[in-house]
Amino acid sequence: MLRSPFWLLLPVGLLYGALALLPIGVILRLGLTDGGAPLRTVLHSPLLLRATENTVVISLLTTIVAVVLGALLAVAVWRASPTLRSLLWACILLPFWTGVLIKNFAWASLLQDNGVVNALLLALGVTDHPLTLLHTRFAVIVGMVHYVLPYAVFPIFTALSAIDPLLERAARSLGAVPRRVVWWVILPLIVPGLSNAALLVFIVSCGFFITPVILGAPSDMMIANLIDYYVHDLVDFNAAAALSLLILAAIVGLIVAQQMVPKEGQHGAA
Amino acid sequence: MARRDATGRFMLYGACVPVLVFLLLPSLVIVPMALTKGQMIQFPPIWISVHSFTDYLDDPQWFDSTVLSFQVAALAVAIGCVTGGAAAVALHGRRFPGKGLVTGAIMAPIVVPLVVFALGGYLVFARLHMVGGWVAIGLLHGMLVTPYVFISVQTSLLAALNPLLVRSARSLGAGRWSVLRHVVWPAIRPGVLAGGVLGFAVSFDEVVVALFLQGPQTVTLPVRMFTAIQFELTPKVAASASLFLALSVLVLLAQSVATRRRGTA
Repeated sequence: MLRSPFWLLLPVGLLYGALALLPIGVILRLGLTDGGAPLRTVLHSPLLLRATENTVVISLLTTIVAVVLGALLAVAVWRASPTLRSLLWACILLPFWTGVLIKNFAWASLLQDNGVVNALLLALGVTDHPLTLLHTRFAVIVGMVHYVLPYAVFPIFTALSAIDPLLERAARSLGAVPRRVVWWVILPLIVPGLSNAALLVFIVSCGFFITPVILGAPSDMMIANLIDYYVHDLVDFNAAAALSLLILAAIVGLIVAQQMVPKEGQHGAA
Repeated sequence: MARRDATGRFMLYGACVPVLVFLLLPSLVIVPMALTKGQMIQFPPIWISVHSFTDYLDDPQWFDSTVLSFQVAALAVAIGCVTGGAAAVALHGRRFPGKGLVTGAIMAPIVVPLVVFALGGYLVFARLHMVGGWVAIGLLHGMLVTPYVFISVQTSLLAALNPLLVRSARSLGAGRWSVLRHVVWPAIRPGVLAGGVLGFAVSFDEVVVALFLQGPQTVTLPVRMFTAIQFELTPKVAASASLFLALSVLVLLAQSVATRRRGTA
């Protein structure tokens, strides 16, 4: 026997079956009772529109900022000497493994009226009175970008490290200046990495629950918070189930889109 | 040309400094914030006092929540190591149509919003009268831990276990159990360890599932913190946050040890 037996998949199958498939079955049944009445309730609720709009706008802004900053960091890691490289990785991985709650708490205390950021702005004379930063959409995006930035760095760095260094030398020797090398050689090669990063960051952002509550205003409620609202405030499990179905459908759609992103760039594998 | 390169490099790293400050700042402020003499989080803090740490440890509710979180995380890691580790071994060196789909399904808990699992788990456990017990939280966390152990065991298998090793062990007369014990286990051990530590951090920090499945006696530390942060930013929260921070530094160290061991294996 060359390979390990298939029955080793049994534990994971049982666990996922009991805690993912079975619950999704229950959610399907509850969400679609009475010929889909809960689904109609949710779809006609003005809250859904508000939460969806918040989720899409906040996640899109987060994705744009995270991919730009992530590309910058990925390029820096890629170009760094081995020592500097492990230092940079440590800087990127420490927040990655710091809990979301801790990061949000830290941002809340940094951004509050008598927090570090306001103290700094006052000292620099940028403003003469503390700005309201906490419980705003700005704070939500700051907290979310901070969370998802490592998720953006990984795929872009993978794409960069797959580039054949000879390509760059060839372009140089043919007379391309560095800016043209970046634009015409490097960038086309990392497009798949960039789009993978963007989709991953967007999918992760859409599921945020804690950050909008701690850093945002009540009006910044995102779609995950709406499920909580249906369960804990309205005690309407059927509507909550219907909403979960909509979220699952959206996520599946996004993941299918991610699978369709070509794994190979126009000019070679990334 | 060389000078232009140097300028470009300088600009690149210059642009990275603010981003790195942005990344590290939250981790750096927690402990100083906790050491204030005041009753609220403020800047600059009134240094220096450890009253927040003694407040945190002396509060029976917070203490119980901390113990509970350790208990839940231990169960979750035990489950995740079995499911994730076994799945990685089962798929190692295999090629079959649909393998990508199986791998994707195992990784799904990372991308599906937690609130969906939280709601689904609540609905299932409520029928079993298990909502409000720590076992329910631990079981569901076990599923969230699985992908992390799976990935990390998969990585260490790729580095250390040539499928031919298994074949030669078999041809030399080793039994199935013997192969598992003497060939597979040493190869996956660093991955199980690293994945277990990561999984511990994942479970110890998880709010959404624990919030849905909580009972009067089963409020995990993150849930207690989440509730506290919404109402007031007290040094007590900063003190418990310092514990989390210590844990994430531990995770980083464990990871680098595991990678190093993998490198020399």
